[in-house]
Amino acid sequence: MSAMSTGAPVFGTDVPQPVQYGPPGGMMRRLNLVTAVVLGVGCAAIAGFVIDAVVPSTASTATFAPVAPDLIYLGMLAGWVIGFMAGIGAFVGPIRWFMGRDLTHLDAEYMAGKDLGWRRYFKFTTDHKVVGLQYLVVTMFLLGLGGLLAMLIRTELGVTWAEVFSPSFYNSMIGTHGIAMILAMILAVMGPIANFIMPMMIGARDMAFPRLNALSLWLVVVAAVCLVSTLFTGGIQDGWSVYQPLASQGPPAMLGYQMTIIVFAISTGVASINLIVTAVTMRAKGMTWTRTPILVYGVIAAALMGLYAFPFFQYAQIMALTDRIWDTSFFNPLQGGSVWLYENLFWLLGHPEVYVILIPGTAVLFEIMPVFLRKPLFSFNFAVAGIIGVVALSGLVWAHHMYMTGWAPSTNYPFMLSTELISIPVGFLVLVVIGTMWRGLVWTRLPVLAVYAVIFNKMIGGVTGIYLSDVPADQYFHGSVFVVAHFHYMLMGAALFAAMAGLAFYFPKMTGRVLDERTASIGFWTAFVGFQVTFMAMFVAGLQGMPRRVLQFDSLFNAPNQIATVGAYIIGIGMLIFAGAVVYSWSSGDRAPANPFGSKSLEWQTPTPVPLENFAVLPVISERPYTYGVPDPYENVSLNSERKPDAQRVGGSP
Amino acid sequence: MTDVNTKGLEPPDEPEAPTNRPPSMERIRTWLSRPYARGIVILSLIIGVLLLPMAWIVLIPMNVTGAPASEIMVNIEQTVFVFTLVSVPIVSFVYAVLVYSLIKWRGHKGDSIPEDKSPAIRTNTIGVVLWTAVSAGLAFFLVVWGLIELAQITSNSYGTVTADQQPGGEQSIIVNVTGQQWVWTFEYPQHDGVTTDVLYLPKDRAVYFNVTSKDVIHNFWLVELGVKIDANPGAITQTGVTPTKVGSFNLRCAELCGMHHAYMETEVEVMEIESFTSLMREMGGGKTA
Repeated sequence: MSAMSTGAPVFGTDVPQPVQYGPPGGMMRRLNLVTAVVLGVGCAAIAGFVIDAVVPSTASTATFAPVAPDLIYLGMLAGWVIGFMAGIGAFVGPIRWFMGRDLTHLDAEYMAGKDLGWRRYFKFTTDHKVVGLQYLVVTMFLLGLGGLLAMLIRTELGVTWAEVFSPSFYNSMIGTHGIAMILAMILAVMGPIANFIMPMMIGARDMAFPRLNALSLWLVVVAAVCLVSTLFTGGIQDGWSVYQPLASQGPPAMLGYQMTIIVFAISTGVASINLIVTAVTMRAKGMTWTRTPILVYGVIAAALMGLYAFPFFQYAQIMALTDRIWDTSFFNPLQGGSVWLYENLFWLLGHPEVYVILIPGTAVLFEIMPVFLRKPLFSFNFAVAGIIGVVALSGLVWAHHMYMTGWAPSTNYPFMLSTELISIPVGFLVLVVIGTMWRGLVWTRLPVLAVYAVIFNKMIGGVTGIYLSDVPADQYFHGSVFVVAHFHYMLMGAALFAAMAGLAFYFPKMTGRVLDERTASIGFWTAFVGFQVTFMAMFVAGLQGMPRRVLQFDSLFNAPNQIATVGAYIIGIGMLIFAGAVVYSWSSGDRAPANPFGSKSLEWQTPTPVPLENFAVLPVISERPYTYGVPDPYENVSLNSERKPDAQRVGGSP
Repeated sequence: MTDVNTKGLEPPDEPEAPTNRPPSMERIRTWLSRPYARGIVILSLIIGVLLLPMAWIVLIPMNVTGAPASEIMVNIEQTVFVFTLVSVPIVSFVYAVLVYSLIKWRGHKGDSIPEDKSPAIRTNTIGVVLWTAVSAGLAFFLVVWGLIELAQITSNSYGTVTADQQPGGEQSIIVNVTGQQWVWTFEYPQHDGVTTDVLYLPKDRAVYFNVTSKDVIHNFWLVELGVKIDANPGAITQTGVTPTKVGSFNLRCAELCGMHHAYMETEVEVMEIESFTSLMREMGGGKTA
């Protein structure tokens, strides 16, 4: 293929092509996860030693806290992030570009993991399918970490007669559980499914910016390690929201949290741009907006929200970091800073992020239902309108988390209005689910049965959300366990179970294996039952007036907490069974057929395992999605007809 | 595909329909005569009746430490009660469809791909309009109810009250609340700055709280009185309440404030004004309010 370097005719003109130096891939051939970890750890160690040598150990801040541990830890974090990214090869592309040595086609193919076999999963691989599976593993790791912490938290709360963990370790468990789960849930659909499935769904060969795709994934890996490192540097003891100025009292682990968020926000920005550009510009010929599957809308919506929301969080953490290291006073009230500034910046992310998690999850349900009910998606326009409505309102509701802060009591009125308005677009999404179920014959497989579980939970989460949106009721519920139960119904009961449904659905396409559905179902429904027990009990404790994030409490709350702990262990068992089914099927399940569910969507028309560029010939779309079903027998007939024939049928059926 | 349930999906074999539009009651009756329609309506009603007691049930744990001790708490419980009632119809309809679908519309089982037998319903104007109207109506009701209740509890706290009930008035008590890791202190400026660590309040007097913090954010939560406001360092937040019941209540910190956040709680003693005044005098507060 050396002819590539001499020029290729495009529209009859010879276009100079980059020259191939050496074997394809160049420097990238030597870089993989091992070099990345070695370089990351090495840079962290060097930075740590240098700062330790330079900073006198007696130096202290204005508040007499020692400076050295903070600086050393920050240097190590920065060294880790930069070293790891260099070692994985994130900077090779830009450097080559600066040197005027663009990637050749062969280089690009090497980077996409062509002929690399299993090794491509441990490299800076640009193929969207590899990135999708890597995201899946990272997400499952974070969910496992968060889940383990959840079990420990519930153990502490269930053992009402003794203190199992020290208060500071308990506090760091709730903080780490919170942020690990939030990050995992942001990734749960937007990572594996949006990266693996969405490009195939729109008939594209890869994402718009494949190298940015790999970059976003490895940034998440780096951030996850920063997060885990906080457990060994004192822990995030201030909840996942790490309100200032409490956080400024915290151990060096706060810097780990801040670095996690700063890096994760870069990843989110990169990934959001990539997903939006891919979905907007790379759809197959003929795929107009009405012919675009609803998951694509969900992904665009979530990416848009992530794009505007994450910078607030990132800035807040950068400001908190400079407050801590360089004694700026953005949030320090003693020096004229404002605690409310932090709360505002935090919740400007915090609420849109809920929809970043929920909208793609809901969109996955919309993809699952037509296939298993053999019926088109009900009212596609309302699904789109619901998604647009949620996106539009998502940025206008953040201060409902601040009703009780005293920040601006008169804004409680407009924020209550905007928050309650959001029930209308969310209602559209429920309508789409109900309408699609309507008279559809259910093919009773796990993905679609999971939809029923999700909607069941979503209604409970929605109704309890109405209480919380209302200022007077929130005056009782704010900061109580009731809030915890409510958002677990939304983020776990709706979003995580939806992501599990999505995994069960796309599993054959993503892994090339058949999921052991029987075992997975046992796990799923065990977790579902445990979930109801746990969080119903927590609703009761919240109604009784139990504040959240406490490790000891009035004996009044003993019974609901012990019940909740039993339920939590049931969830844990169920999740382990589900994860076991996934891991076992992935490693030694049967080979999956290309389209086991008979879906008419584009992604299922590819062979399994999916070849490097997905489609040998790019498809052309000529009809709307979800063309299932037979003509409605009642259409244009029954409304104007006599009652008699129908009445007869009533007699004939129970 | 013998196991596929096709009940209610065969087209009714009947003559061409007349062109005149029947009255709406007739249309509803026609719709109801479909085998599934009546089932879903009945199921909705059953689930609705079963869910209706929830409106009272949610109040039981809320009152576990006694009935509301202030007008604010009465308003809060009213709101929870009404919101539960309002959400019952929608929830029971959605659950009815879920249950009916799982029982009556259960189709194919197993691994083989089923035939397409479901009706290709792309939309339904009546259904969509009805759903939008109902959900918008409910949202509107929630907003209006919420705004009215909020205005009411705001005036209960500090607003349109008589002059002697206003801050500084003859009939009112001011308490300066300070949170710090991990204790609350209460100062009574009208009683020579008596300072306590238990919150003593007189019954039937407007009480105003100036809440602040010495270190980090705390949250001042009088559970049975329905009062909640953050104690922020560097700022004073204000709220108020008129206790209507004598007794001992709970004050808890509702904002994570560090290691011993769980232990940052104390008692609220509401007493008759005479006992309150004499208690203040005992503690060294010479003047009376």
